Amino acid sequence: MLWRPHHLIRAKTNFDFLGKRRLAVVLSTAINILALVGVAVFGLNFGIDFEGGIAIQVRAKEGTIHLDDLRATVGNLGVGEVALQEFGDSRTALIRVQRQEGNAACVAHADRVMKKRADAGWSVKPSGPATGGDVEFTSPGPLDAVGWRDAVSRVGLTIQERQLPRANTNTATIEMTHDQRAEWCQQVAIKLVEDTIGGKYELRGTESVGPKIGAELMQHGIYAVLATLGAICLYVWVRFEWQFGVGALVALLHDVISTLGLFVLLRLDFSLTALAALLTIAGYSINDTVVIFDRVRENMRRYKKMSLIDLLNLSVNETLARTIMTSGTVFVAVAALVLFGGPVLYSFSVAMLWGIIVGTYSSIWVASGMLVYLKLRPDQLREKDKDEAASAKA
Amino acid sequence: MLNLPRWQVIAIILVTGLAGLFALPNALPGGLLDVLPAWYTQSRINLGLDLRGGAYFLLEADLRGVLNERLTNLSDSVRGELRKQQVGFKDVTVQGGSSVTVVLRDEAQRAKAIEAIRTIDPSLAVSGQDDTIRLAFSDQELFRKKKEVIDQSIEILRRRVDETGTIEPTIVRQGDDRIELQMPGIKDTTELKRKINQTAKLTFHLVNEDVAQTGQNLPASLPPTTFLAPTREGMQALRAANPKAYEDIQSANPRLTPEQVCRRYQPQCLPVFKRVVVGGEDLDDAKSTFESQQGGRPIISFTFNSAGGRAFCNATRTNIGKRLAIQLDGEIISAPVVQSAICGGSGIITGQFTTQQTQEQALLLRSGALPATLTIIEERTVGADLGADAIRSGTVAALVGTVLVVIFMLAVYGPLFGGFASIAMMVNMLLVFAGMSILGASLTLPGIAGLVLTVGMSVDSNVLIYERVREEKANGRSPFSSLAEGYGRALTAVIDSNLTGLIAGVILFGFGSGPIRGFATTLTLGLLTHLFTATIFTRMLLAAWVRWRRPTDLPI
Repeated sequence: MLWRPHHLIRAKTNFDFLGKRRLAVVLSTAINILALVGVAVFGLNFGIDFEGGIAIQVRAKEGTIHLDDLRATVGNLGVGEVALQEFGDSRTALIRVQRQEGNAACVAHADRVMKKRADAGWSVKPSGPATGGDVEFTSPGPLDAVGWRDAVSRVGLTIQERQLPRANTNTATIEMTHDQRAEWCQQVAIKLVEDTIGGKYELRGTESVGPKIGAELMQHGIYAVLATLGAICLYVWVRFEWQFGVGALVALLHDVISTLGLFVLLRLDFSLTALAALLTIAGYSINDTVVIFDRVRENMRRYKKMSLIDLLNLSVNETLARTIMTSGTVFVAVAALVLFGGPVLYSFSVAMLWGIIVGTYSSIWVASGMLVYLKLRPDQLREKDKDEAASAKA
Repeated sequence: MLNLPRWQVIAIILVTGLAGLFALPNALPGGLLDVLPAWYTQSRINLGLDLRGGAYFLLEADLRGVLNERLTNLSDSVRGELRKQQVGFKDVTVQGGSSVTVVLRDEAQRAKAIEAIRTIDPSLAVSGQDDTIRLAFSDQELFRKKKEVIDQSIEILRRRVDETGTIEPTIVRQGDDRIELQMPGIKDTTELKRKINQTAKLTFHLVNEDVAQTGQNLPASLPPTTFLAPTREGMQALRAANPKAYEDIQSANPRLTPEQVCRRYQPQCLPVFKRVVVGGEDLDDAKSTFESQQGGRPIISFTFNSAGGRAFCNATRTNIGKRLAIQLDGEIISAPVVQSAICGGSGIITGQFTTQQTQEQALLLRSGALPATLTIIEERTVGADLGADAIRSGTVAALVGTVLVVIFMLAVYGPLFGGFASIAMMVNMLLVFAGMSILGASLTLPGIAGLVLTVGMSVDSNVLIYERVREEKANGRSPFSSLAEGYGRALTAVIDSNLTGLIAGVILFGFGSGPIRGFATTLTLGLLTHLFTATIFTRMLLAAWVRWRRPTDLPI
C-alpha cells in the first residue's frame, strides 16, 4: 500500500463546544445585526436581474481598457446612472446602465440613434399627452409600410403592423403606453451606448432587463427564499421534534442573513445566480445540522441521565470528523470555482464558500446551542421515537 | 448484511451501463454521430445560450390592446345590428377596456335589443338594468382569446425568424401573456428585430375576369391595372413537378415579382387588379368552423376591423359574382366568388373543403399580421467568443474541483476507500450526464457550477458512511460487521441531510429560468443520483472486495 489513510481528527475529541455557547450567541448576534444594518444602510448591490437595467460586456479592440475614459464617455450620454467594473481581465469591462424611464430624454436619445443609424433627416419626438407614451417619427422622405417597418426596427422597436402608416407618408405616430415606452427605452439606451463606444470596443454580450421583469423577479426571488426556508424547517420539524425545527430555522436565518452581510461587505453583485447561491446555502448548511441532530437523538435514547449540555457536546464531538470532512470536500470543489470559474460565477462562488464555512459554524454552535435554550429533554421525544429507543436498547 | 442480493448487483451494473450508453453521444465525434441512428444520437445535452452564444428575448403581448380592439369592433357590430332591428339607442360606448355599454332610448325595447345582440355573439355576458345593457366577453371566451393571440403570435414569429431554416429557434409560451424566443448563434439582434417586425404581406384583390385566360396559357398582354400572380396550388404543383425551379424562385435575389414567376415558370396563375381592396393588417380573425345549415360543411369565417369591414363592404357590394383573390406573400391562397355583399365586418368562405383545408386556410389568413404588439421586456445576447470563454473557465473549474476532491478523499480514506468513493463520484457524473441527455436539458454556466457542487456533495455521503465505519471499528467490531453497521446506520443521516438540498433545488427549478434552471437541474439530478452511487454502488464494490480479500483489518 502506498499510503495510509490520514485521520484528520486523531483520537476521540472532547471539546467543550456548548460551553462556549454564550460567546457564540454574542458573536452570531453581532454579525447578524451588523449584516442587517449593512443591508439597511448600504443596501444590496442588486444586479440588473432584480433592479432592471442594462449590462454590456465590452472588450477593448486594442490595448487595455481605460475605465475612467469609458465611464466619462458613457456617463455623459444622459442614460442615467452608469457603473463600470473590470471583468475578468484588463481588456474587458462590464458596463451597467440603470433601468430606463420612459421619459422625454429617452425619446431624444432615439432621435440621436435614428439620425446616426438611418439618416440625418429623421426626427423622433414625444407626442400626445405627457402621461402617455406616444412617439412621433418623421422621415426625410415618404415611406411605405415596409420602409417604416425597417426604419423603426433600427431603434429596436417591435410593434404591431397596424400601428404603422399604410400609405406613403412622412410622419408616423406610434401609440404606446408610458410603460411600453419605458421597456422600449432600454433598447434605445443599448443602441446609444453601442453607437458611442462601438468604434473602440467590441461588444461581447448585452443583457437588458425591463422595469417590469425586474420587479417580478425580485418578488419571485423573495418568495423562493421564504418557501425554501419554510419547507426545510417543516421537514426538520416533521422528522425530529419541534425544538430541532426551531434550532434549524434559527441556524438557517443566521446563514442566510450573514451571507447577505457578506454581499454588502464585499459589494458583490446580487444577481439571479447569487440568489441561487443563497438557496443552495440554505439547503446545504442544514446538512451538518441534520447529521448532528440525528446523533443527538440517538444519544438521548442511549444516555437518559446525561445532562443536555454534556449530551450535545458528546454528539458534536462524535460527529466532528464528518462535519469537517463533508464541508471540506465541498469547500475544495467551490474553491476551484472561485479560482477558475471566471467572472460570471464569481459572486456565486464566493457566497457559496462563505456559506459552507458559516453553515458549519452554525450547525455546531447556533443549531445545537438553540436546543439548550429551548430546554430539550429526553422525555419530550415522541412516543414512536421512545419505542425505537427501547428496542434499540434491547 | 453487507452483501447485496444478486439481482441488485445485476441492476446496478445494468443502470451504470445504460447511463454510459445514454451519456456517450455527447462525447462522440461528429463523423461517428452521422453514421449512428438518429434516435440514439438525438438525446444529447444542449448547450445553453450562455455557453453557445446567441440571443434570448422575452416578449410581452399587449393583450389589453387586443381586448380594446375587439370591444371596439363589438360596439360597431352592436350599432349596426340595433339599427337593422330598428332599436333606438342613445349611445354605445367601450367602458374601461372591459365592457361595452349600450344605452337605449326606450326601456321597453330591452328584450328585443338583447335578442339582437345575441345574434352577434351568443357567448357574451349581458348585465345592467333598465335602459342600460352592459356587454362583456365571458371568462371562457377571454381565456380562449388570450390563448389564441399567443399561439398565433408564436406561429407568426416562427415563420418570420425561421425563414432561412438554418438555426433552430425555440419559441415557447411563458405564463399568461409572454413569449420566450431563443436563437442560438445569433449575434446581430437588430437584424432579428427587423425580422420580428417583418409582416407576411396579405392583401385582397379583385380578379380581372375580363382578361381572357384559357387553360394554362397566360394572356400575352395585360391592362396596366392588372398583374399576374401564381396560385398556391399552382406553386405546389410546380414544386412537385420541378423542385429545382421552385428552389430558384425561393432563393432568387432580389425576389421575383409574382408576374415574373408566372412568366418564367408558368405555374397556374390568375390575373388580378393591382388595387388592394383591403390589407391583411385589417383582418382581425379567421377561423375554421362549420356551416350552421346545409349539413355543416367546414367553412372559414373571418372578421375585419371597422376600417377593413367598410372597405370590404364596398368592394363586395359592387362585385357580386366576381372572384376576390387573397394574396399572401405573392401567392394567391384562394379566390372565392363573392356571393353577396359582406357588410358588418365578418363573413364566411364556403366551398368543397375538408376540415384540414379550412384550418390551413384560416392559419394562412391569420399569418398576415401579429395579433398583438409584442414588447421586448428582457433581452440577453451572448457573443460566441464570450460563450467559448465561459466553457473554458467552466471546464477548468470542474476539472480542478474534481481532482481536488479526489486527492482529498484519497488522502483521508486511503487508496481503497477513497478510491471507491471517487469511482462512485465519477459514475454519479455519468448518471447526471445520462439524465440530462434523456431529459434533453440544457447545460449552462451555472449548470457547470452545479456539477462542481455535485462533485463535492456526492462524496459527502461516503464521508458519513466511512466515518460511521471508523467509529464502529474503533468500538472493536470486526471489519465485516463495521462495514455492515456503517452502511446500515448512516443511511438515515444520508437521506435526511440530502433531502433539504433537494428541496432547495426543486424550488430553484420552479423559480428560475434559463441559466438558473440549468443550475437547479444539475444540482437536483446530482443529489438524486448520488443517493444511488454513494450508498448502494460503493457498497457493492466494498462487498466484492471483502469477499475477495477476507480482510482482518480495514484500511480506513
